[in-house]
Amino acid sequence: MASNKVYWKSFDQLANTEVSQRLAENEFAQDIPADVFLADERSLEAQTSRRDFLKFLGFSTAAATLAACEQPIIESVPYVVQPDSLTPGVPSFYATAYTDGQDYASVLVKTREGRPIKVEPGDAGRFNRGTNARAQASVLSLYDSARLRGPILNGKDSDWASVEASLKKAADAALAQGSQFVLVTSSVFSPSLQAAIERLRQGYANFQHVEFDAVSQSNTLDVWEALTGVRALPSIDLNTAQLVVSFGSDFLSGSTAQQLSSDYAARRKPGTGMLRHVELESNLSLTGSNADKRVKIKPSEVSGALAFLVNELGGSAAKIALRDDLTKALKSVAGELKSANGKAVVLVGGDDTNVSKLAAALNALVGAFGTTLRADKPVYLRRGSEARVANLIADLNAKRVGALVVAGTNPVYFRPDFEKAIKSAKFSLSVTDRMDETAVLCSAAAPLPHYLEAWADFRPVAGEYTVAQPTIKNLFNSKSLLEVLGGLSGDPRSAKDQVAAVAGSLGLNWNQTVHDGGAAVTSGSAAGAPAGAAAALAASAKVSKPVNGMELALYENAVGAGYQANNPWLHELPDPVTRLTWDNYLTIAAADALAMGFENETNSDGSLDGSYATLKVGKRVLENVPVFIQPGQTAGTVGLAYGYGRTSAGKVADELGVNAYALGAATGYATVEISKAEGTHEFATVQLGHTMMGRRIVNEVSLADFIADPKGTNWNEKPTFHTIDGHKTSEEANLWANHDHETMHMWNMSIDLNSCTGCGACVVACHIENNVPVVGKQEIRNLRDMHWLRIDRYYSSDMSKERAEEERIGGIEMYAKMEEPSESPSVVFQPVMCQHCNHAPCETVCPVGATVHSREGLNHMAYNRCIGTRYCANNCPYKVRRFNWFNYMANEQFADVNPSQDDYGRMVLNPDVTVRSRGVMEKCTMCIQRVQYAKLEAKKAGQPLADGGFTVACAEACDTGAITFGDVNNAKSAVRAAKADARAYHLLEEVGTQPSVFYLTKVRNA
Amino acid sequence: MHYESPVRQPLILGDKSYNQITEDVVRPIENAAPRSWWMVFSIALVMFLWGVGCLAYTVGTGIGVWGLNKTVGWAWDITNFVWWVGIGHAGTLISAVLLLFRQRWRMAINRSAEAMTIFSVIQAGLFPVFHMGRVWMAYWVLPIPNQFGSLWVNFNSPLLWDVFAISTYLSVSVVFWYVGLIPDFAMVRDRAVNPVQKHIYKVLSFGWGGKAKAWQRFEEVSLVLAGLATPLVLSVHTIVSMDFATSVIPGWHTTIFPPYFVAGAIFSGFAMVQTLLLIVRKVFKMEDYITVQHIEMMNIIIMVTGSIVGVAYITELFIAWYSGVEYEQYAFLNRATGPYWWAYWSMMTCNVFSPQFMWFKKLRTNLVFTFVISIVVNIGMWFERFVIIVTSLHRDYLPSSWSMFSPSFVDVGIFVGTIGFFFVLFLLYARTFPVIAQAELKTILKTSGEAQKKHHSDHGAHH
Repeated sequence: MASNKVYWKSFDQLANTEVSQRLAENEFAQDIPADVFLADERSLEAQTSRRDFLKFLGFSTAAATLAACEQPIIESVPYVVQPDSLTPGVPSFYATAYTDGQDYASVLVKTREGRPIKVEPGDAGRFNRGTNARAQASVLSLYDSARLRGPILNGKDSDWASVEASLKKAADAALAQGSQFVLVTSSVFSPSLQAAIERLRQGYANFQHVEFDAVSQSNTLDVWEALTGVRALPSIDLNTAQLVVSFGSDFLSGSTAQQLSSDYAARRKPGTGMLRHVELESNLSLTGSNADKRVKIKPSEVSGALAFLVNELGGSAAKIALRDDLTKALKSVAGELKSANGKAVVLVGGDDTNVSKLAAALNALVGAFGTTLRADKPVYLRRGSEARVANLIADLNAKRVGALVVAGTNPVYFRPDFEKAIKSAKFSLSVTDRMDETAVLCSAAAPLPHYLEAWADFRPVAGEYTVAQPTIKNLFNSKSLLEVLGGLSGDPRSAKDQVAAVAGSLGLNWNQTVHDGGAAVTSGSAAGAPAGAAAALAASAKVSKPVNGMELALYENAVGAGYQANNPWLHELPDPVTRLTWDNYLTIAAADALAMGFENETNSDGSLDGSYATLKVGKRVLENVPVFIQPGQTAGTVGLAYGYGRTSAGKVADELGVNAYALGAATGYATVEISKAEGTHEFATVQLGHTMMGRRIVNEVSLADFIADPKGTNWNEKPTFHTIDGHKTSEEANLWANHDHETMHMWNMSIDLNSCTGCGACVVACHIENNVPVVGKQEIRNLRDMHWLRIDRYYSSDMSKERAEEERIGGIEMYAKMEEPSESPSVVFQPVMCQHCNHAPCETVCPVGATVHSREGLNHMAYNRCIGTRYCANNCPYKVRRFNWFNYMANEQFADVNPSQDDYGRMVLNPDVTVRSRGVMEKCTMCIQRVQYAKLEAKKAGQPLADGGFTVACAEACDTGAITFGDVNNAKSAVRAAKADARAYHLLEEVGTQPSVFYLTKVRNA
Repeated sequence: MHYESPVRQPLILGDKSYNQITEDVVRPIENAAPRSWWMVFSIALVMFLWGVGCLAYTVGTGIGVWGLNKTVGWAWDITNFVWWVGIGHAGTLISAVLLLFRQRWRMAINRSAEAMTIFSVIQAGLFPVFHMGRVWMAYWVLPIPNQFGSLWVNFNSPLLWDVFAISTYLSVSVVFWYVGLIPDFAMVRDRAVNPVQKHIYKVLSFGWGGKAKAWQRFEEVSLVLAGLATPLVLSVHTIVSMDFATSVIPGWHTTIFPPYFVAGAIFSGFAMVQTLLLIVRKVFKMEDYITVQHIEMMNIIIMVTGSIVGVAYITELFIAWYSGVEYEQYAFLNRATGPYWWAYWSMMTCNVFSPQFMWFKKLRTNLVFTFVISIVVNIGMWFERFVIIVTSLHRDYLPSSWSMFSPSFVDVGIFVGTIGFFFVLFLLYARTFPVIAQAELKTILKTSGEAQKKHHSDHGAHH
């Protein structure tokens, strides 16, 4: 029932009086004094009228609203259709193969949200599986903003169609005019590229393909080609070897180093039958540093020494007089070779024909053929020919070249004679990743894709075929060489189709092959070489007399041949032996330096300075070469690294160091005249103390002692303290309450000093994984490197505590002499990162508790809480903590070097790891992001965390398996087994820090 | 009336009346500043501003503008911190400990000594703050409730103890100093002619009326505060020394540090008092109050503490050898013979050898010689901290990480800036505060004034 009740407000209304009626008519019960207000003229004249007030109110509300909205707008476009394979935050891995013109490796690429961010070793069992420093760093070369962005024709921006048309026109014109059409590349071991080149050859009768390697193996290849009929080097199989004798062969950092390092380490597990390594070399190389016995030799003495061994082992070679001490050393080497009984291999460095012949002969004599030296399983990574390079230069100078295509290499930089010659080509095109020294002289340049952007395939070694797949779409307007050449020979297929066709012809399942990154195939094997023919080579080899003057031996450090010279990570990585960064320099023996007046001096701030030298090889002169005094350098020899002295590579590499190729020492060795030059060079070193000062830092034992005392009672004693209750170890004499380390995971790391070769791949891997800033030369010179993981290198000294006691030498003199490395030092490497102490000195001193202990045995660092007192770093006995001295992300000083300051370089940052701000401390976290990820994955799967299911970045990068990471609470874990090893010890155990990292004693097979 | 033996030397020279003391003390406040004051003040101000610029550069760019590196994480910053804290020790010792021991000679010097304490603790405090990488987060060292969750400071950290020790010391010193100043401010107020000045001193003197009750309370408060301040003399530098002593770094990890640091602090503090008072007495013509006897007493303290410090140095060497710890042995060998030998031997010469001259009365009463030695001692004590911090850090356990240290212009600039700041404060103080505790001094005029003493001995104590 609807209500018609009427509510009343007052009795007047109820009574409906007159007054109430009048009031009801009036909207406003009370008079509004509008007239009064408007009549007041002053209020009208007031500066802020009501309307103004409303305007102001409106404006300020709008302004405040707008200001609140004005955040930097970063456009992020969502996927219209989410790709199946991509989950944000979850990495995808792609098998591929890494090549940069110099190196080859089978790798796995980690991508996040479509960006490749990390290169990791490929599947076990694959040839040269693994990542050296360059392979690790190569992902940053993808994001190098110095890369060529699009085709350039006659110095102007152009397009592919025009450049290809010009090339076609030039090639056709050359064909018509009878001049040459030449393609210059580094060694080609890609079947599909070889096929494309073959098709081109059929289309152009005047076509020539010149392959050359920056660091040439041409003469050696000639010797082996004559022996086997295949232009390739034999592979080296250390798995059955008992003895390696190497003459200046830096095989642990050469082109197959990943393979050899891994085999080498596996064969050098301490115990009976451990591989023995004798190195005879002039420079102190990484390989020589690992040798059990190292003999100093001059490059010119090598042929004589090999001839001596050939004769000792029953062959016949020319005889020549050698130094007495060298003869003595060689006699003992000959004895070892004989007793190795077919399980030895002789390796040689450089590229001398006679040395290669003698080495082949010697290998035949020691029975290496078919066992440790596999000519039947050739490695195709090096195929270059210097003779053809010389012909090309002559042809160019004689203007016989109508069209020249340089692809993926840089002849003007590697072979300075090209600089003049290349201008004589009628048309030249450089298909290149950047406007390098060659491209700037060519009529056209066009961008080559990075290996992570392109399809390719490889036959690195007999019996293996690998496919490289792109992991990101081309960043720039680049085109695969397969397609460029295809266009010229009328082959319209894409690079992928060309590769797929080759894989198909090999009978491989395409999807499976791409997924696996390759497959075993039967093709590519060679017949092998007859040992008799090889042994006979000795007679034909010319044995040269040792040179009296100074000799130069060129070598490669982490920068390698120089293809990736613009990669700051490779410069920031200290040379494993000299511990210098951002430079190449002349290494010289102390005695020679003294004689020539060269000096190295440490300044009051710890920075290192050195003299300059001028080098003269024949008529070629190299000026302003910094001189570094190197212990272990053979007197009468000097060393210099390739890969520096770039002039057109990018802001990182340009004007850094000197160009060793400019000396034209094609075999890697040359007689050199050295004179002192004016000026002082500023080095950037990371290590000033070179010896262990009699401390037990790297524990070392000889193999004989190790075998005699397998429990380590005498060579791995724990330091003890004298207490009232007798001798106690630091763990027993503990003043602290222990953490509970039983209930949860307990992460430990084992570092086998016997396996570590010191190569530095782990250091680069750590940089990449953890977004460690690159600080550049000046800051490293200021001793402010940011490496979370470093590899300490110690030399032995002639002085020891025992000797001081024997000869009654006082403490002051003893320690002063201990600082001096021996002239022929034995070398040890020790990777040191945060030791994750369970009684961490850093944790107690932080006033704000920014660094704390985890229940899993790790030492955490809360960057957000850190206020930067640096007390923790001071109190760290291992000195592994690194302080953010500047804002490396924004400070202009680092704009050229730090990838995170570059719009492209920033893409390489690992999204799982915070980029640290200025003023906070950072250090190794044991890749906590990986640990957490693995734990969460295991939790999601409802499975216990499996040992070996994941590992930290440094352990993963290590080819030799020197680093093992895992949970010691898992009874089956590898790290637990390592901890129980008699060789295990903690660094600075006596400080009582109880680290979670431990080391395994180095055993030298001496 | 207290009777004092005529054998005791008078503490106030000349024939002074109460009014004469007032006049002498108030003269620098009431008169215009001499040109020499302006000159010194200008120099100090320029130094101070230069330091401010260097600090601004540090805060704006990063600690990287200093000379530190991955191995040497502290150098001039903490050296300067400890040095200034050390200097700050003499004030409290003179005003509190000597008050408790009823050493009347302190009365002429305690005001300035304490002013020096406060000003140098201010300098000291700057370093732990500005040495932080993220100085804008400095308040995180304070245990204040916060919105970060259950975050709390780390009470295990000696740096946190420093925060408490220094802030307590500074606040107690300021209060103690200020309480002593109240009657003297009142005196200035009473004499002031300029109304602005009068008003300022009126506020400063808290309405002091000089009643007997007020005096009684004043005495009691002074005694209580002296009792509170006395343990601080020992605790502050003990705690500062624990920054080092509780660490694991050879050369730092030493149980002798607390007494050794306290002795060193008193040593350097007295040297600084000496330096300042020799200038003050000359410039403000206070030779009658700050007498040669005062100087001599302080020289004796310098000699004794210097010798204690010397014994500590030798003990360190002995213990390093006796401990059999190779790292420890090397650390001390390296101090004396390593790359920083010159710093070690500068320290030894300045701190151990130079005070030994004070055995000779002729030398310890020679003002010029005293002045020179007081400066030498402060240089030596700066080197002591440099030696402890830098030479221990630069070569510790792993030779691979050994390094060197050399200061940048910013390091030097900030240090110079704090010296400038200190003198700016001290010079302003000398022009506006009564530099001698005249109210206290007047209490001993009858017993220890030269003329009065002479009168007593001539006419007997009672009349």
